[in-house]
Amino acid sequence: MKNVAKKIYLVLIMLFLYLPIGVLIFASFNDSKILGKWNGFTLKWYTQLFENEAILNSLRTTIFLATLSAIIATVLGTLACLTMNRMRKVPKSIIMSITNIPMLNAEIVTGLAFMLLFVGVGMSLSLSTVLIAHVTFCIPYVVLSVMPKVQQIDNNMYEAALDLGASKAYAFVKITMPDIMPGILSGFLLSFTMSLDDFIITHFTRGSGFDTLSTKIYTEVRKGIKPEMYALSTLLFVTVFVLLLLVNKKPAKVTERSKHAKIKKYIAAIASIAILVVGIGFGVTGGAGNYTQEVYVYNWGEYLDPEVITMFEKETGIKVHYEEFETNEEMYTIVATGARNYDVVCPSDYMIQKMIENDLLEEVDFDNISTSDNIGQQYYDRAKGFDPENKYCVPYCWGTVGIMYNKTMVDEPVTSWDILWNEKYKDSILMQNSVRDAYCVALSKLGYSINTLNENELEEATQLLIDQKPLVQAYVVDQVRDKMIKNAAALGVIYSGEAIYMQRENDDLEYVVPDEGSNVWIDGWVILKESENKEAAEKWIEFLCRPEIALMNFDYITYSTPNDAARALIEDEEIRNSIIAFPDNTILERCEVYNYLGSEGDDLYDSYWTRVGAADSE
Amino acid sequence: MNKRVKNSIYASPYVVWIIAFIIIPLLFIAYYGFTDGEGNFTMENVAAITQPMYYKALWLSVELSVLSTLICLLLAYPLALILRNMHIGSKGFIVFIFILPMWMNFLLRTYAWQAILDVNGVLDQLLAALNLPAFNIINTPAAIVFGMVYDFLPFMVLPIYNVLIKIDDNTINAARDLGADYFTTLRKIIIPLSLPGIASGIIMVFVPALTTFVISDILGGGKLLLIGNIIENKVKADNLNMAAGLSLILMIFIVLNMMFTAKYDKSEGGNML
Repeated sequence: MKNVAKKIYLVLIMLFLYLPIGVLIFASFNDSKILGKWNGFTLKWYTQLFENEAILNSLRTTIFLATLSAIIATVLGTLACLTMNRMRKVPKSIIMSITNIPMLNAEIVTGLAFMLLFVGVGMSLSLSTVLIAHVTFCIPYVVLSVMPKVQQIDNNMYEAALDLGASKAYAFVKITMPDIMPGILSGFLLSFTMSLDDFIITHFTRGSGFDTLSTKIYTEVRKGIKPEMYALSTLLFVTVFVLLLLVNKKPAKVTERSKHAKIKKYIAAIASIAILVVGIGFGVTGGAGNYTQEVYVYNWGEYLDPEVITMFEKETGIKVHYEEFETNEEMYTIVATGARNYDVVCPSDYMIQKMIENDLLEEVDFDNISTSDNIGQQYYDRAKGFDPENKYCVPYCWGTVGIMYNKTMVDEPVTSWDILWNEKYKDSILMQNSVRDAYCVALSKLGYSINTLNENELEEATQLLIDQKPLVQAYVVDQVRDKMIKNAAALGVIYSGEAIYMQRENDDLEYVVPDEGSNVWIDGWVILKESENKEAAEKWIEFLCRPEIALMNFDYITYSTPNDAARALIEDEEIRNSIIAFPDNTILERCEVYNYLGSEGDDLYDSYWTRVGAADSE
Repeated sequence: MNKRVKNSIYASPYVVWIIAFIIIPLLFIAYYGFTDGEGNFTMENVAAITQPMYYKALWLSVELSVLSTLICLLLAYPLALILRNMHIGSKGFIVFIFILPMWMNFLLRTYAWQAILDVNGVLDQLLAALNLPAFNIINTPAAIVFGMVYDFLPFMVLPIYNVLIKIDDNTINAARDLGADYFTTLRKIIIPLSLPGIASGIIMVFVPALTTFVISDILGGGKLLLIGNIIENKVKADNLNMAAGLSLILMIFIVLNMMFTAKYDKSEGGNML
């Protein structure tokens, strides 16, 4: 009876540990992009995985990084153990305490400390900075595994070997090494796993062109994780599972010989994991072409049809280094600190204004961009709100902020922001988790400008947002999309660009720009002052303004295009004339563009928003 | 050459490494934490913790992480005991079972929990199929604690398991022979002997739970700000001085941890493995 209870307990814990893994494996065979919504069996994510350069690249980087940092950490850590063991007590315990700091310290503090160090000494963030950070946080794990073995070393054996004529090096290799080998191996394996699974520290120290699987996944969250990622994780997981199962299959009897056999098995397993994984990574690399020029592009996540990059490279012979960001603020920190060097970036309106004011942008030479006329004049006019003389920015996408609602769950007409304060929809409302968009909702409802710096008005808006908090199910960014499609919420604040895609997936959804007005936004391409590839950057913009390319991007990302020539090419009349994608002037007149509020204005909004964040949610 | 001098030469690369990459970065945090954007000395960043919105976030983080550490301990201890008494397989196999999930990226695993616990999520669908009421903990503190327990449970199980298997069966049998019942043995022999493992486990769970910002983001629905979220937001908003100032507050906990370890974890090298 007691044994049964024990077994049930074990099973429950295992279920708890492995349930999400099961869900992910399931998702890798699911014909839907949305986690937790079953659409049927498919293998397409596996085939697409091997064509997805971005994911494979990040896999290669992850493995390379984990291998290298585990090797360096193992060498340094083992050396540290061997020498520490012969030290006096006090220096030894001091070094031991310092060693343990990265393990005891909060990851976020360690990450921030590294970032400040690297920026402080003027090291640009790159593979080497991440490597240093990873080695440092892996060392304690090596020391933890090796130290006990080092303490068990029988020095008499070593002395005996020396007496029998062995050289010191030979005695070390033949006597000491085999004794501490199990510790070294488990230290290596643990370091490798830690490095592989790390997100926070990599997040703070990574450099240009540098993505591990973790940071890639975090960026993808904005637009929903690509199912190829589930496929890749499944492959990795199953590979490791099978290999480690083989190694651990028979509990070896502890004889000297089996001990050695086991170590050999471990080494074989690690080697085969490495070979296999590297094989997955490198096996499919297409031969690198001969590129004469290159361009560094920094864009929103999932904001371009990947096919466009290939076409551009083929036509122009310019190699594109394509990077994605998640928020304007994140992009700004990286561009402004010069941590990474980009040529052409796609920020939003207010951020473009901020970059102009801080002298980060180069004027665009419109004579070199013959296709820029395809962009409707009305969009250039609107862009004057943040780029007064149309000198810096070529509009790329635009849209409004509004309410998406589910017709089956909301039984009254949605015309006003007020509905987001209706008790009836408690726990069915999704709000935007960004300062400006959240305040856009509250300020519009109150009839104030969404660019106000009047503290009384902001105070009022803050109170409104705090009052709303108990009704809100969650504050998210683009996850509004998946949640609404899954019928998890009745109302959500979202960008118009997502609406077309969402309606395609769920008929019951409808989008509206409330009567009180809202925000109309424009994202546009700008060239950075620091750019070393201006000509290539201009070619990039020229290419994206071509009608057929702009149409490809519109089909892929479903965000409204300011490219009138491309709009004329849209075949589906309903979409071409959709008031969601292309709202008419009666709607747009009610909407305002975000302005840059200055760093004091930003801090003001930020401090009010933090108050909303800290407010009680019940 | 003097043996000790020679030894310090071998030790030097490591000592240089830890000074450059552990000590100096922490000094940078202190520098940023005590200066403003222009480099002038200020206490403002550190003193910010006295503002209600910051100390409330810190307090919530402490509450949730203490709770999840306790739950981890309550789940892990019996588990480690069962595993010890089963004497199954090699020690490596047990370690392997708990390390293996880490090969599936931790962000993905947390997202999977979101999909499971979400409104109309996998779990709700399952419950509806069984005619049971929906189970709604997503976007609440309970969901965050759940996520913490999930992500950090292995770090509690392994150290405890590792000290438990070192306890000699004869010690336990002796206690039983001398008339102690199961619970007395547990109380007088097993638990005291496993204290170092419990201590390592508590630290390995408490610190990451206290400072996470990812779990609260994904499972808390952005409704609850932990101190980690606030630091992350400050970094995003390019206010590095404030981020460093609040980090200094968090570092108080490291000092407490080091004292705690020194008190209980007498075995050198720790018990993680």
